[in-house]
Amino acid sequence: MILAGGRGERLYPLTRDRAKPAVPFGGIYRIIDFTLSNCIHSDIRRIFVLTQYKSTSLHRHIQFGWNIVSATLGEFIEAIPAQQRIDEHWYQGTADAIYQNIYTLQQERPDLVLILSGDHIYKMDYRKMIAYHIEKGADLTVGAIRMDRKLSQEFGVIEVDKEWRIIGFQEKPEIPKTIPEDPEGILASMGIYVFGTEILVRRLIEDARSESTHDFGRDIIPAMIGKDRIFAFDFRIGDQGESGYWRDVGTIDAYFEANMDLISVTPQLNLYDPQWPILTYQSPHPPAKTVLLEEGRVGTALNSIISNGCIISGGSVIRSILSPRVMVHSYAEVEDSILMEGVDVGRGARIRRSIIDKDVHIPQGMKIGYNLDEDVKRFTVTGSGIVVVPKGIRL
Amino acid sequence: MKKKILVVEDEEGLRLLYEEELKSEGYEVITARNGKEAIEKLEKEKPNLIILDIVMPVMDGMEALGKILGKDRKIPIILNTSYSGYQQDFMSWAADAYITKSPDLSELKNKVKELLERGRVL
Repeated sequence: MILAGGRGERLYPLTRDRAKPAVPFGGIYRIIDFTLSNCIHSDIRRIFVLTQYKSTSLHRHIQFGWNIVSATLGEFIEAIPAQQRIDEHWYQGTADAIYQNIYTLQQERPDLVLILSGDHIYKMDYRKMIAYHIEKGADLTVGAIRMDRKLSQEFGVIEVDKEWRIIGFQEKPEIPKTIPEDPEGILASMGIYVFGTEILVRRLIEDARSESTHDFGRDIIPAMIGKDRIFAFDFRIGDQGESGYWRDVGTIDAYFEANMDLISVTPQLNLYDPQWPILTYQSPHPPAKTVLLEEGRVGTALNSIISNGCIISGGSVIRSILSPRVMVHSYAEVEDSILMEGVDVGRGARIRRSIIDKDVHIPQGMKIGYNLDEDVKRFTVTGSGIVVVPKGIRL
Repeated sequence: MKKKILVVEDEEGLRLLYEEELKSEGYEVITARNGKEAIEKLEKEKPNLIILDIVMPVMDGMEALGKILGKDRKIPIILNTSYSGYQQDFMSWAADAYITKSPDLSELKNKVKELLERGRVL
């Protein structure tokens, strides 16, 4: 069960028209592709994606891009919108989202349920976590990543004993419980849970029938501590990237940095591992192309990711990520920027440290990212000075 | 004040039987013929406990159970059915008790008493 219903408010305006899991990432991907690819490579092929807000583009992406399993073999990747079958309101928390889909779970009656977030970017073999869950005889296993204790106020912090049995859980604590053998480290919850189905359903029902925020971290885990067998699973064991890479990309700045990591010489997140390809949907565009080699008018792309369908025609692109169908015209300059699908950079325009959302046409000679005082009058500008030009804006 | 019980049952004879028997125990009894009516009565009448049949026309008890809890998460609910197989349904676990219908109503009456006195046990 992949939770894909969060609003992603801190990613606004990238989430103005789409749910956070559907936000483009790394040129050709959507954020949810990483979690779905992990599932497929972990041989998990019975997948429900629970959506609610602004889910049209997410549904379309799953329909077009992830129609890759065999219904004949009982496999499915199915996006389920909030159906309000039980309750007439939106999902109140992560646990409520699963509880509201209890009839769906009933139809499948699996032995175990793996609950994931569609918001995170990482490569993980869930089979290792499931094997650990079974070996421990656990009722619940929670994916945990080691973090510096200074970051404790951003995460749910798991307290474990020497056997990694969970004995405490703090939500964004100021003074965190540290790892037994590492006083500077904490175990942060990754929002990844393996449950025995029966215990999951029973705890969800108990939670649904009590005063609660209906959240796995805040309510379900604390209620299970001391009562059930719950263990933490070290992400290091399941990390397929072997670099400890796991990102929430919850803010525009974090999103920008995570994208920019991809254009470094050796990115922390390796997209080139043939054992663990990231799957996605791509329209059949022609290959990327650079043209013109004249005095002062050279089409170039340096230290950049250029997707299919792009044409860089007499302009320059440096340290940037271009999604499919981006057009950069003569004498234009694009630097340290993310240009999403269908963006057109007019002749002589200059873009710096900006995110340009889908299908925006930048007129000839326009400058974005060069004078933030001007930019902030029209666009979102983040704390670190990244300009975000929203989808569909007419300039 | 008398405790109010909502009996949800599509079979008229049974509905009358439960109504009479529970009234004689000193409860106020209201009835509904299916899940949809039960939800309407829940909002209007604010019962203290619900006895819910499962196999009913219009809206069955299993569907109604979720919706009832969506409106009042604390109300005690007894599933009362001729079939034991519904205990396999996850949603049935959300009820406070599961009783298989029998001509002897003592189990049902005891459970009603227990739940109303002790409050919900989960």
